[in-house]
Amino acid sequence: MVRDLIGTLARIGLAAVWLISGGLKVADPEQTYVAIQAYDVLPTGIAGAVAAALPFVEIALGILLLAGLGTRLVAAASLVLLAAFIAGVAQAWARGLSIDCGCFGGGGAVASAETRYPQEIARDLGFVLLAGWLVIRPRTLFALDGRLGPARAPVLGAEGGT
Amino acid sequence: MGGAKRAERRRRQRALAADQTSRPAAKQSSRRAAKRGAGGGRRGVVVALVVLALLAAAVVGGVLWQRSRSGPGPAQATPVTAEYPVALTDGVVVAGKDSARVTVDIYEDFLCPACGAFEKRDGAAIDDALAAGTARVRYHIVNILDDLSNPPGYSTDAANAALCAADAGQFPSYHASLYGKQPREGGRGYTDDQLVQLGRDLGITAASFESCVRSGSHDDAVRDQEQAATSSQALQRSYPDGRRGFATPTIVVDGKLIEIGDSASWLTDAIAAAG
Repeated sequence: MVRDLIGTLARIGLAAVWLISGGLKVADPEQTYVAIQAYDVLPTGIAGAVAAALPFVEIALGILLLAGLGTRLVAAASLVLLAAFIAGVAQAWARGLSIDCGCFGGGGAVASAETRYPQEIARDLGFVLLAGWLVIRPRTLFALDGRLGPARAPVLGAEGGT
Repeated sequence: MGGAKRAERRRRQRALAADQTSRPAAKQSSRRAAKRGAGGGRRGVVVALVVLALLAAAVVGGVLWQRSRSGPGPAQATPVTAEYPVALTDGVVVAGKDSARVTVDIYEDFLCPACGAFEKRDGAAIDDALAAGTARVRYHIVNILDDLSNPPGYSTDAANAALCAADAGQFPSYHASLYGKQPREGGRGYTDDQLVQLGRDLGITAASFESCVRSGSHDDAVRDQEQAATSSQALQRSYPDGRRGFATPTIVVDGKLIEIGDSASWLTDAIAAAG
């Protein structure tokens, strides 16, 4: 029961992360594009597609987590996305680029004294913990997964019936 | 990829069901569990497909939504009465009388917000000095922000169009118009149609203007200017962390790079100092 509660908090928390992050990006698509370009790692054509799709992917992940549908799969997808973000920040840090990560709105070139690479990576690792918990133990309260049937295949949603 | 995942899952479920049925101790309940497992497995596949479909829809929807977003709208014609000679030489627009005592080099990019702010603040003062013959200005339009428009390339297109306008004798108005209503960084810039329309709105009737804009006749000259500016040591500025680089706007007065400060006094001071 306690573990179900922890899982539920992780699920809601991760949902909030994606909904806020995605929502801020949708609100300022130009800033999102500038932020992605500042990482100087994606070719420009792909950067445009990523800037267009990323906000909606984040919102979709957030909605699915909030509803508790396919929790394990969505948490796994979240891990993949978080890994990409951490890699992006790490390479910017290693190359000495001076950018704000742009994860929660904002983003682009800033004075190097204002960069916060270690904090940004630490925060993303925190989110990785939430997503990791849900991949290992996707069973949570108030989730659609639990209402879709007594037995769930262990590869997706919550495990087992009772 | 989807098919392989599904097949894998089905194999795993069949193995699980077989496992449960082979244990003699819990045969009855395990048979029931096997039935439930198979049904739940299928439901799991459906859920997985729904999730993947939703994510795919998010990607497609995002790209379509972004394509459909309107750009800055049509450019706004801001005519400027320029009572001074303007000539285009080697990709540089030279404005003002040759007899002027102060020479100012301005390096700008049409997408650069700081350049837009600079023009809004000091454009009138520069125009006055040009008309009075106290200063001569050389505009070096560069395209360092080419990748920051979405789709990329607006900096080059705008620079080219401005030089085409210089060919047609309308550079000051065209320049003021592009900065007066400036597209946002990270957004869509003006299209070729809009750049041509702006020229027409400002009174350019020559047929060669449209072909100059659409074919990018001055693109190479713009790139040469950009190359020269970014590789020039004299034009680089130091950032607080010790890095050095070229950025826009860069203002050079009589060969010396200056900081433009809080007002147009950099210009009036230079003119006063020249006596």
